[in-house]
Amino acid sequence: MILHRVRDGLPLMNLVSLRAVPILQQLHLEERLLRSSSDNWCIINDGTNRPNIVMGISGRPSELIDLKSVLRDRVPVIRRFSGGGTVIVDDGTIFVTFICNKDAIPGLQPYPHPLMSWTGQLYKDVLHGFGDFHLQENEIFLYYMYASLTVLDTYFTDYAIGSRKFGGNAQSITKNRWVHHTSFLWDYDIKNMEYLKIPSRAPKYRSARPHVEFLCRMTEYVPSRSTFIERTIASLGNHFSVKPIHQDRVIDPSNTLHSSSKLLTRQELEEAYSSLCEKLHIAAISV
Amino acid sequence: MVMALRRLCRYARPRPPLPLAAIQSPRPSPESAPPPLSGLSSLLPLSPLLRADRTLASSSLYSLFEGSYTATRNRCLTTQAWVDAPTGEVVEVPLAQTGEGIAECELLKWFVKEGEEVEEFQPLCEVQSDKATIEITSRYKGKILQILFVPGDIVKVGETLLKIIAEDAQSPLTSECHEDATSLNSDLCESDSQRSSRKGEDFKGVLSTPFVRHLAKQYGLNINDIQGTGIDGRVLKEDVLNYAASKGIQEERPSLSQVNVGEPGLLKEGKAFHMHMLDEKCYEDTTIPLRGFQRSMVKSMTMSAKVPHFHYLEEINCDALIELKAAFQNENTAPNVKHTFLPFFIKSLSMALSKYPLLNSSFNEATTEVILKGCHNIGVAMATTYGLVVPNIKKVQSLSILEITKELSRLQQMASNNKLSSEDITGGTITISNIGAIGGKFGSPLLNLPEVAIIAIGRIQKLPRFDDDEIVYPASVANVTIGADHRVVDGATVARFCNEWKLLVEKPELLLLHMR
Repeated sequence: MILHRVRDGLPLMNLVSLRAVPILQQLHLEERLLRSSSDNWCIINDGTNRPNIVMGISGRPSELIDLKSVLRDRVPVIRRFSGGGTVIVDDGTIFVTFICNKDAIPGLQPYPHPLMSWTGQLYKDVLHGFGDFHLQENEIFLYYMYASLTVLDTYFTDYAIGSRKFGGNAQSITKNRWVHHTSFLWDYDIKNMEYLKIPSRAPKYRSARPHVEFLCRMTEYVPSRSTFIERTIASLGNHFSVKPIHQDRVIDPSNTLHSSSKLLTRQELEEAYSSLCEKLHIAAISV
Repeated sequence: MVMALRRLCRYARPRPPLPLAAIQSPRPSPESAPPPLSGLSSLLPLSPLLRADRTLASSSLYSLFEGSYTATRNRCLTTQAWVDAPTGEVVEVPLAQTGEGIAECELLKWFVKEGEEVEEFQPLCEVQSDKATIEITSRYKGKILQILFVPGDIVKVGETLLKIIAEDAQSPLTSECHEDATSLNSDLCESDSQRSSRKGEDFKGVLSTPFVRHLAKQYGLNINDIQGTGIDGRVLKEDVLNYAASKGIQEERPSLSQVNVGEPGLLKEGKAFHMHMLDEKCYEDTTIPLRGFQRSMVKSMTMSAKVPHFHYLEEINCDALIELKAAFQNENTAPNVKHTFLPFFIKSLSMALSKYPLLNSSFNEATTEVILKGCHNIGVAMATTYGLVVPNIKKVQSLSILEITKELSRLQQMASNNKLSSEDITGGTITISNIGAIGGKFGSPLLNLPEVAIIAIGRIQKLPRFDDDEIVYPASVANVTIGADHRVVDGATVARFCNEWKLLVEKPELLLLHMR
């Protein structure tokens, strides 16, 4: 790790700035860097080329997406290598990913909660002055016997302004490294949201709101995309010595090693849809 | 004289470190060199194991030793089979590495399979907890014995994921020890022969059994540094332990099976060690890391202890209550329902709270405000194998006693299976602890913040009391202790509240008067 220190004592972080790169390619890149690099990386992808639905590693299409309309409109569905929920991403999404060694940040424990806190603090600095940024708690996975403690010790999973979410997060933690990636809603098309179902497992603060009322657009709070991106890079500079790397040095579409993120085939989606229909049909009959 | 010498020789002959009969039979002949007669110690030079510079009859002794060395070597080879057998203990590996506050994870995939050998820090599996996929690595070097979950299963934090035969469940040091154990015996043989063949060289090794050497290695000690108190300066187990203690090294637990391995032939001695090991195990400390409910109890009680409590004791006559319960049971309206006292205490508590809402409130220290809660969400403390939990029954004021009984039963069932939802355990406004079900007469319960009152009900006992005609009769009495936040509630309020509650329990017909 000493190799990564530069003269000002901060660990080195390679920054790759992308624009409109397909999300599947980005995911392959991230996973490859996670598993086969020993450097720290930050990937920023300013928008992706076309709308894609991205589910977490154990996502089941029948539960998370509206299969009928997805099949009809041929929206690509990807299952990524990290955990978490489902998002629909397009050119209005800004992606920021951190891939780090376990000991890159002194005192930071490589567990979901601490990582969330650390990144949350970073973005809080970034968005300082632009809106009431905070981390929104998720009570579902807490088991505390005394009500008061849910306030003291909550598990933050979303970035929110007010009570509306503008950034979703996911992580993957391996033996010596971790990745924390975020898809920020710079802007979104309301029609796209209709491809996603309201998740059955949702945080309390969601209170069964439809997507429209639950989400917010960053563009309403921050002057421009580049403002957000530049400020993020600047904020990173407080923890790392950031070194820009040209994307040609890292993007390698032919390299499919360490690529567990995959695009679901049309056949898989059709099968999911037909078995769902069967279930509903049977359920209807038994009633 | 020669006979006496012979006898002395026999006694003086050092016990070999290895179980050898070979060395015993061909005796060094004392006639070839007149041994000094100044006592036993002077006979020691005859020992082939100590003196390297023997000139007298050296060739015969050497060849003798060579012969015995070969036997030893053979013995070494046979013991090797022993050492290769699995020596570790079976360790249950729980799901624990995912960080605080996460109660369960989904198992995504295994990187290992049953029967596979794993190294320390090798990834075992991948789990998902909400937003994160996490690799779980092994704390032990060993062999996978049994895998208990398949991909797709939900695993609770603390549940055993898999079982490993750990080579040594203690420290990284020991993996190195195990590898050396096989060569320990042969090392000893070789060094002995080397010793005898080297002339004029410094004596490097010390005498000890393989087990003792292994023990020294476990403590990270150089056995050569240890002063031996056994025969011929042999280093014994006690010497190692004493040396380790003097160096302030933490004692580790060598596994029982290692004792057997190191002492294949010296069965008697081995057995003594074996028993000693067992005894030691009984007296050792066990460390339990607190997780889940136990951990949250640490936090909540610490907070609670900062609040100024006062405790109020009262005795409640439960004769009428006992009759009522018998009546409920006999009427048998709901056959599957078991009637107990608690639902009745809960319902009457709720009625008393309607008159004294201050006891069903919450104190906000920051704003110095008391919030009188509209719902009577009465929490019931439950002792489960996972720890203390307090689920609550919502809106008791609008529930009948039968409904309370059913809800209580449901919560008890969920609690014992660790399936309480966050809805069940949040939102409580007052807590009842039926500690009397286990035992006890008085208590001084700590508040369940941010509530301002807590009630502990002791065991119902039959005690002599006076009735209205001043005649002694056997009464069923229960002691109740009410703990309250003295920043909000004063003694008089609690006393009046308790009187009201006591009245309702002792005269249940009054419930009818207030029933809605």
